[in-house]
Amino acid sequence: MLEGAKSMGAGAATIASAGAAIGIGNVLSSSIHSVARNPSLAKQLFGYAILGFALTEAIASFAPMMAFLISFVFQVL
Amino acid sequence: MPQLDKFTYFTLDLAQIVSSPLEQFEIIPLIPMKIGNLYFSFTNPSLFMLLTLSLVLLLVYFVTKKGGGNSVPNAWQSLVELIYDFVLNPVNEQIGGLSGNVKQKFSPRISVTFTFSLFCNPQGMIPYSFTVTSHFLITLGLSFSIFIGITIVGFQKNGLHFLSFLLPAGVPLPLAPFLVLLELIPYCFRALSSGIRLFANMMAGHSSVKILSGFAWTMLCMNDLLYFIGDLGPLFIVLALTGLELGVAISQAHVSTILICIYLNDAINLHQSAYFFIIEQKRV
Repeated sequence: MLEGAKSMGAGAATIASAGAAIGIGNVLSSSIHSVARNPSLAKQLFGYAILGFALTEAIASFAPMMAFLISFVFQVL
Repeated sequence: MPQLDKFTYFTLDLAQIVSSPLEQFEIIPLIPMKIGNLYFSFTNPSLFMLLTLSLVLLLVYFVTKKGGGNSVPNAWQSLVELIYDFVLNPVNEQIGGLSGNVKQKFSPRISVTFTFSLFCNPQGMIPYSFTVTSHFLITLGLSFSIFIGITIVGFQKNGLHFLSFLLPAGVPLPLAPFLVLLELIPYCFRALSSGIRLFANMMAGHSSVKILSGFAWTMLCMNDLLYFIGDLGPLFIVLALTGLELGVAISQAHVSTILICIYLNDAINLHQSAYFFIIEQKRV
């Protein structure tokens, strides 16, 4: 019972990936928009896009972290 | 559990298939020490930190030995120059302030932080090594010390005027108590967030690589031709994930450096640089 609840919790923790997907898509789509409007800034914008991607991806990795913590660290008493 | 038991347990465990993917983050005392009540052992994080830092310092030392190296750099010297330039550019851009003068004073500190996380993050990708930055204690120690340092720098530079950082200009007085609180909470949360960001990235990334390579390994050991051919799929995913993980490790070092620069700029220039920049633009 408790083991199953643990697995369900770990699975539910990965729902957060949806938000990360939206965020990363948003970053890259805005970057493409900006480059299409002003191609001469492409190099600078790429740096910003990578920065935004890394920041979003950092929040995204909280989800697998919680999943790993739930499934491997918490002991069923 | 006595110390010796844990040692034998670990050496036995290396031979077997390791069960939990979090086992790679285990801290093992290599030279157990105690000073009074203080547990002061030389552990594997300290070993790997020492190893990384001494290698980097040796690299920098040998490159700059003969009065700053050659005028035409070789590969190693180019690497060191690349790292140096990579830190100097965001420092100049972010902390430059309104007149764009270089705040070289903070460059060495930021450079050290960047080099530390740049070499400690990907170093965990080497099999059977240890990721130093995948521990709460180390990343939070780093980020809290930097946060305290930045606050001290802010007070040194601006005196008590630094407190105006908490209240944006042109706010009606009745709103002030709420706004101070609303600015104070994110400011204090910065210390926590930059440490947790690094820790979560390293831990989640390394353990997911471990889990997926465990899949590939189990599939390889199934003793079936179909599984053996099908194993190429997980293997390529592991390969791609390793590449992604190296990229994440390097970009996290970059991100934490840029964030430190931004926070330092907030402390030194108090939100003003962008504002003055706009006014200056209007005058021109």
